[in-house]
Amino acid sequence: MAKNVETTAKPAPDVAEAKKLFTITRAGFKSMVDGLAKEMDIVGVKEKQGKFVYGKISSFDELRLDYDVTTMPPTRFLMPARETLLKFSTGNDPRFEPVVDTRPMAIIGVHPYDISAIAMLDKVFTSVNPDPNYIARRKNTILIAVDTLSPSSKSFANAMGTRIVEKGFDLLLTDIGTSYVVTIGSKKGADLLAKYAAPKEAAGNDIAMQKEVRDEALSKYTISLDIPKESLLKLLEENYDNPYWESRSKTCLSCGSCVMVCPTCFCFDVQDDVALNLKEGERFRRWDGCILADFARVATGENFRHDKASRFRHRIFRKGKYIFEKYGMAGCVGCGRCANACLAEIASPLEAFNAIAESARAKEAAARIMKEVRAQAELYVPQPAKLVKITTLGAKEKAFEFKLKSGKPLRHRPGQFVEISVPGIGEAPISVSSSPTRGDTFQLAIRNVGNITNAIHDLKEGAAVGIRGPFGNGFPLEAIAGKDLLFLCAGIGLFPLRSLIQYVLDKRDAYSRVIILSAARTPADMMFTNEQAEWSKRSDVEFLNTVDKADANWKGNVGVITTLIPKVKIDPRKTVAVVVGPPIMYRFAIVELKKRDIPDENIVMSLERRMKCGVGKCGHCQINGVYVCQEGPVFNLAQLRSLREAV
Amino acid sequence: MKPKVAFFDFTGCEGCQLDALNLSPEDFFDLVGVIDFVNFREVMTEKSDDYDIAFIEGSITRESEIPRIQKIRQQAKVLVAMGACACDGGVNCLKNHIPMDEALRIVYGKDAKYYDTMPARPVRAVVPVDYYVRGCPPVTAEFLKVVKALLVGKKPEIPNYPVCVECKMADNICAFERSTTCLGPVTRAGCGAICVTSGRHCFGCRGLVDDPNIDSEKEILQKYGLTVEQVLEKFKIYNTCSEVAK
Repeated sequence: MAKNVETTAKPAPDVAEAKKLFTITRAGFKSMVDGLAKEMDIVGVKEKQGKFVYGKISSFDELRLDYDVTTMPPTRFLMPARETLLKFSTGNDPRFEPVVDTRPMAIIGVHPYDISAIAMLDKVFTSVNPDPNYIARRKNTILIAVDTLSPSSKSFANAMGTRIVEKGFDLLLTDIGTSYVVTIGSKKGADLLAKYAAPKEAAGNDIAMQKEVRDEALSKYTISLDIPKESLLKLLEENYDNPYWESRSKTCLSCGSCVMVCPTCFCFDVQDDVALNLKEGERFRRWDGCILADFARVATGENFRHDKASRFRHRIFRKGKYIFEKYGMAGCVGCGRCANACLAEIASPLEAFNAIAESARAKEAAARIMKEVRAQAELYVPQPAKLVKITTLGAKEKAFEFKLKSGKPLRHRPGQFVEISVPGIGEAPISVSSSPTRGDTFQLAIRNVGNITNAIHDLKEGAAVGIRGPFGNGFPLEAIAGKDLLFLCAGIGLFPLRSLIQYVLDKRDAYSRVIILSAARTPADMMFTNEQAEWSKRSDVEFLNTVDKADANWKGNVGVITTLIPKVKIDPRKTVAVVVGPPIMYRFAIVELKKRDIPDENIVMSLERRMKCGVGKCGHCQINGVYVCQEGPVFNLAQLRSLREAV
Repeated sequence: MKPKVAFFDFTGCEGCQLDALNLSPEDFFDLVGVIDFVNFREVMTEKSDDYDIAFIEGSITRESEIPRIQKIRQQAKVLVAMGACACDGGVNCLKNHIPMDEALRIVYGKDAKYYDTMPARPVRAVVPVDYYVRGCPPVTAEFLKVVKALLVGKKPEIPNYPVCVECKMADNICAFERSTTCLGPVTRAGCGAICVTSGRHCFGCRGLVDDPNIDSEKEILQKYGLTVEQVLEKFKIYNTCSEVAK
């Protein structure tokens, strides 16, 4: 039957001119599919229980080529879940007969990212130690690709460079509504087209239309890599020991769904199945995967990747690094199937790549700051900054927006502080209350309580001050990634916490629930009220506020902040509480949070201490042996339990 | 010399015995061509206490069953637990959640005084078990796989990965995506995901994988709308004796 494919009924379009595009009508495509169905097995995309799958079809009408993504990739027809490699006989004269499947088959509706995956498998199975079973099936398979016009919400084919393919298929169809624009990828494809589909050379407006529908599809991708694909190798190389692998894999079920649905996963197990007569049998291979618990276990019982974290990391390293190094193609095509299949919602390589990139950037920024601080010839010399905007917040509180005169951003982490100088008056440590994600300026919200703050409150827009820093560790951005975040801000504790809240809301997808509990002494003491009102309106933020003492207009909760804690649902396994407020509040907050079983490591506080130098020298801020300005001001409760003087 | 095989039933429905022989005529004759059945209540009247391999069906739920299983263990060279009751305690363990005298009263009413019972337990809680053919009912092919492995002298390759693997191999749409919930992510595969393939979900009859992520599974079940109580009920059906239904 296979030879039918090779014959040409009509003269084929010249493959040398394969750059040339053709158009075919829907009827032409239908007659091609239905014609092929008479010659060989046809596998195509169809609907199943509201999702899309590849399956055997017998006619064109079963096809659903408007699909977003299929639950399983088409590669399962090139490398079946279970396939016989050889038949054998047992006994003193054992015989082995290879088994190879050469039945011709056409796969219809393959998206470009899957074409890329098949190209990768081709490399794996043909380059070194060619695999006869794969090659036989592949050689007898016709691939008819279609452009992805409605990408899945989890797809990042755009970032992996697999959104559009130029080769790897026999034919590629782009649905332009009235007809299809066809790209020819092989002689086999050209012959097929000529034999069945009555192709016409594509007209200029058809080609323009193809570009238009492709561009429109591009605009539908909602997620992407935060770094160039090319930098993945180095990024992963440098982040083998990143705590992300451990923290993110805690909920991994080792269920194998991510590797089973992956179009580029090709690992397998080999087993013998002897017949009941014990005289003959078959050796078969079946899918296996590195995320499964026993994948690297040897007969002596030793398991070389025994914990979830090492398996989780290994899989991501294969997708982003190992495969590329060995075969020159990325091991992930960005189809998003694993992200759809993973019940724990941790499988997307994109998420891992971006999270690692983010933590690497944070680390780099910290290193750069350290370097810059160290590079400062004069440790104590501030850099000039201009006061660009003043916002009045309360009776004694104002927010001041500054811009460094160098024009560079401050490059702070949420939770860090600066030393602000008014020459002649002095220098004071103030937390940055805006997020580094909000542009090149930064905000310091300041209560007028002393000499320096009083002087700052007297400044007018346009005035100059000196800034040193940022200093301190800031909030633990790596540790809170992916978690439920419970913010407790009491009084002007909101000032430092606001930088983190803004940061989290700007990267909302990187976190699970966001719960904000806010308290002030009276309604008049509520700070950033407009911004708090905005938070309360967001559907992805759970917001509660309270005042210690109400006034005539206050209709909300009355009571101290800890009275809000029993009102929220908390999952102690995945919640990080970030608490900032007056010193007195911490003890009560800790009691309430411990009642909800939040582990000490996940209760994070920013401490206030007297800080003069900001660089771990002057000694004012020391708690026991710790310099708050360097190792703090942010600590978790586990750390604080060893610091007797802390709270 | 063909090995002598005996089947023994303890507390259970005896469905596993039927399932073991749910074979094509060819397979049946091939099977009796390589082993001798010497004790098999469901299919033969003769009995012999001379056997090499013992298949045990049912859980241990009465004091009198303890000496009986101990004697079988002494005689058998290889002891295989067959079915959910023998392997993990099975549905019989559901009674462990209430006092034993109450269980007797519910089942036997006024005749309760004539019977004795104790909390149900898997065979391995009483005597060492060499191999397991899991499931309720067990998969005939897996029974044959274990028999063949014993005959050729190798350890049967029973999966230690969850049902999800076989579900994906079967090209199923995930039960969670069909608005139901499923114990597949923590349940030992080997059944070919038969329940999900038939449009249902996994009830966990094959017991758990060696190192199941129960916390994560419970979290997921809750995310998909189950209450804590419903989650525990789900685990109780087949896995009461595995400490997870708490």
